[in-house]
Amino acid sequence: MNVKTKWWIIGPMAAVLMFWVLITVIPLYWMVIGSFQDSSASASFKPQMLPEVWSIAPYERFFMKTKALRWLFNSLFVSAVLTVTNLFFASLAGYAFAKLKFPGRTTIFWVLLSTMMIPAQVTLIPLYVLVINIFDLADTYTAIILPAVVSVGNVFLMKQYMSTLPTSLIHAARIDACSEFGIYWKIILPMAKPGLAVLAIFTFVAHWNDFFWPLLVTRSDEMRTIQVGLASFRFAESTDFGAIMAGATVGALPMFILFFALQRYFLQGITIGAVKG
Amino acid sequence: MARVEFRNVVKIYEDEKRGRFTAVADSSFVIEDREFVVFVGPSGCGKTTSLRMIAGLERQTSGDILIGDRVVNNLHPKDRDIAMVFQDYALYPHMTVKENLSFGLRNLKRPKDEIERKVAEVANIIGLTGMLDRKPRELSGGQRQRVALGRAIVRDPQVFLFDEPLSNLDAKLRVQMRVELAELHKRLGATIVYVTHDQVEAMTLGERIVVMNEGRIQQIASPTELYNHPQNMFVAGFIGSPPMNFMDARIENGQAHMEGVSFSLGDETARLLKSYEGRNVVLGIRPEHIYGDDFVPALAKSFTVQAQVQVIENLGAENLLYFRVGGRMVTARVKPETEARIGQLKTFVFDASKLHFFDPATEQRIGT
Repeated sequence: MNVKTKWWIIGPMAAVLMFWVLITVIPLYWMVIGSFQDSSASASFKPQMLPEVWSIAPYERFFMKTKALRWLFNSLFVSAVLTVTNLFFASLAGYAFAKLKFPGRTTIFWVLLSTMMIPAQVTLIPLYVLVINIFDLADTYTAIILPAVVSVGNVFLMKQYMSTLPTSLIHAARIDACSEFGIYWKIILPMAKPGLAVLAIFTFVAHWNDFFWPLLVTRSDEMRTIQVGLASFRFAESTDFGAIMAGATVGALPMFILFFALQRYFLQGITIGAVKG
Repeated sequence: MARVEFRNVVKIYEDEKRGRFTAVADSSFVIEDREFVVFVGPSGCGKTTSLRMIAGLERQTSGDILIGDRVVNNLHPKDRDIAMVFQDYALYPHMTVKENLSFGLRNLKRPKDEIERKVAEVANIIGLTGMLDRKPRELSGGQRQRVALGRAIVRDPQVFLFDEPLSNLDAKLRVQMRVELAELHKRLGATIVYVTHDQVEAMTLGERIVVMNEGRIQQIASPTELYNHPQNMFVAGFIGSPPMNFMDARIENGQAHMEGVSFSLGDETARLLKSYEGRNVVLGIRPEHIYGDDFVPALAKSFTVQAQVQVIENLGAENLLYFRVGGRMVTARVKPETEARIGQLKTFVFDASKLHFFDPATEQRIGT
């Protein structure tokens, strides 16, 4: 859009966008504000834009009454491990599907893709039986992590991304006596950073926010993730809205940090300069 | 350094889209030690595939490839002792110039001081000593090209492979790099295999040129030989700019008859064309061997054609005049002082000693 675009075009567009921003931001704002005031105020039907009395008491109650720190650690641990495994395996498989020639490449890829058509709910019960009854992994990190070590969606994403990287670089590296794994590790991965960043954010967020699977396979209070923990806390302490808001704020915070830390990768194409366009 | 040999090399692609496709058909040749050989031809002629088979990036369907005295069919690219410069440079974008240059040596686990020394040497050769810490995106097109060149030189390979290395540069830089490449070849004394679709590059750089078309080698010869004795109409038409003119002629009683003009062939040529008596041939002549009637040098044998000038292209040092003989458009490269107007009926003088004859069915050269 050029600078001279008229105000009657900009004006309505800005209004629509502002409205959108309000819809998105108000619940978050409310959550944060609610976590700093006492419970009766945060449950009120007439919400206040700012608390009359600022208080960190809700946070104290949240952390005192629950195993919140343990839940946060569990969520962090599970999400971090899954992010690393997904980055590694999805990029490895994506690279193979995009750039290596091997018999059955297309067939295997389509079989993998077709599994994306199956709704997660369909596989949930067999998966549960497998993990809990057969492998006997109930209430362990392994149970939460194992089924999500790599997702087909991520493999697909990485394959698409890797396809855009110039093949001549791989050939150059091969001539430069680089091993096949070396090509992946030293050439492909650094160039795939923007794609990996996107994948990291989505994977981390998805698993941080994951609720149903951790709920199914965990039993003890110690093994709960923050989302499962928050839900159980809500049922147990249904009147303490302040503490619930504090918990929700604590649960959402890492997502904001992650996004702002990695957002530049969305904007930056790292292959500029590799190949003349 | 080393020679490169192809023995009956065939490359067939089995492609889901195109089906069976012969990229290189039964190719045999020898590139001598320290020779600069250029593969030239239109796109899809199999020249790049040939180069990639030497590099080991593609496996031939049948036949043997030798580098030095070794059959390299089953050798990985890194074990073939070759280096390649790619059309798009293929510089590693996340590495500095220095890291790009040293990447191969580091992979070969060479000692650190040796790597340092070689990188410094090569940086000096390619004139980028002050830019070793820059990333490729901070360099101009010409500088990137030099880094790609440096990355090949630093490996000190037996054979250099160039895949259209100048095609991404602008015209001025291309001429400059062409001269530098020729100098580099002298300096390194290396065996160089160079692929291009640009016949000017081929003529100026190659000691010998391999002309390819549709997967087949058309002719292997020195630039002069290619220019003066093209083996078939494809080579004749591909080498030289503007390309050689072709005209249809009928041979009868030691004379060649074209539309509107007949001329005597002379004893020697008549002997050559004896078996074509009463048949058609294709007559070829280069544009510089046709003269306007106002500037004719002393010619041993010549004939004249009267034709209407259709188009005039003024190139400064020379003019190109286009006119029709029979159904074919013919180009004459004449002195700029030659008087000509579009539509003018002009007499053109053909140097009959510079004629080429081709069989219209096989398109092969008649005689030597």
